[in-house]
Amino acid sequence: MKLSQIGMERLFRISSGLTIVGLVIEIVSLLWFHPLAFALFAFLGMAFIGLGIVTYLVSLVFAVAPPAGSNS
Amino acid sequence: MVGVTGILIALIVLAIVLAVFFFVRPSVTAGPTGKILAFVALFILPALCAATGMSAHMQRSEQRRFCISCHAMAPYGRSLYVDDPNYVPAQHFQNHRVPADEACYACHADYTIYGPLKDKLRGITRIYMQYISTPPKNITIPGGYNNNQCLRCHQGARDFESNPVHQAIMDSLTSNQMSCITSGCHDTIHNIDSLDHVKFWRPGQ
Repeated sequence: MKLSQIGMERLFRISSGLTIVGLVIEIVSLLWFHPLAFALFAFLGMAFIGLGIVTYLVSLVFAVAPPAGSNS
Repeated sequence: MVGVTGILIALIVLAIVLAVFFFVRPSVTAGPTGKILAFVALFILPALCAATGMSAHMQRSEQRRFCISCHAMAPYGRSLYVDDPNYVPAQHFQNHRVPADEACYACHADYTIYGPLKDKLRGITRIYMQYISTPPKNITIPGGYNNNQCLRCHQGARDFESNPVHQAIMDSLTSNQMSCITSGCHDTIHNIDSLDHVKFWRPGQ
């Protein structure tokens, strides 16, 4: 249980980091009026935010069903 | 638009603050309150910010100044000010037959990101050519200009429907077999190659 808890916290941290980067990119893209701003948001920002959300969801799955042998 | 963008940025800042909190102290998710807050901070808010951000970007990309901020598009924006009623886009723009702030989108609503997936991919190619490769000298619409872009407004309008020329070829126009702009009828479009030899209209004069 302790191992899964540590793993979950690490995943939360990764998820938070990815989300922060994605959201910062979104702010930059909104303040920059240029066609490249759209590309920046659509490809980079959305990718970071999406990965952050996926990592968070993975962490939930990890917490519900920790892998066998992780209960030390 | 600035107000909406301001609210969106405030929402994003809130999402960042909460995400930073969980980045610094992920252990707070051990309790039920922390779990709920994490769900809001790492799922609900980022998803909401991404969706509203995409919507804001799509709305912003409908603006004329967005389109002509690309170097290759600048002459097309300039052509809207040609002082000649034969120039179809200029006539529409100057007489507010289309919203002046969204003049490009009004007549090119099926172009690149607004169109189906194939057009969206083509739009990405255009970005690549603009900033990495070399943009083409003359920008063309693959497949030609679709009459539906004209007929969206003109079909059903009295002066369009009652025109005997239009009546005679209505089926060809609606089926896109005969183009409105290449049939010799409304064929003076942006004509960017001739912009150095024409007179320009200055708003307010």
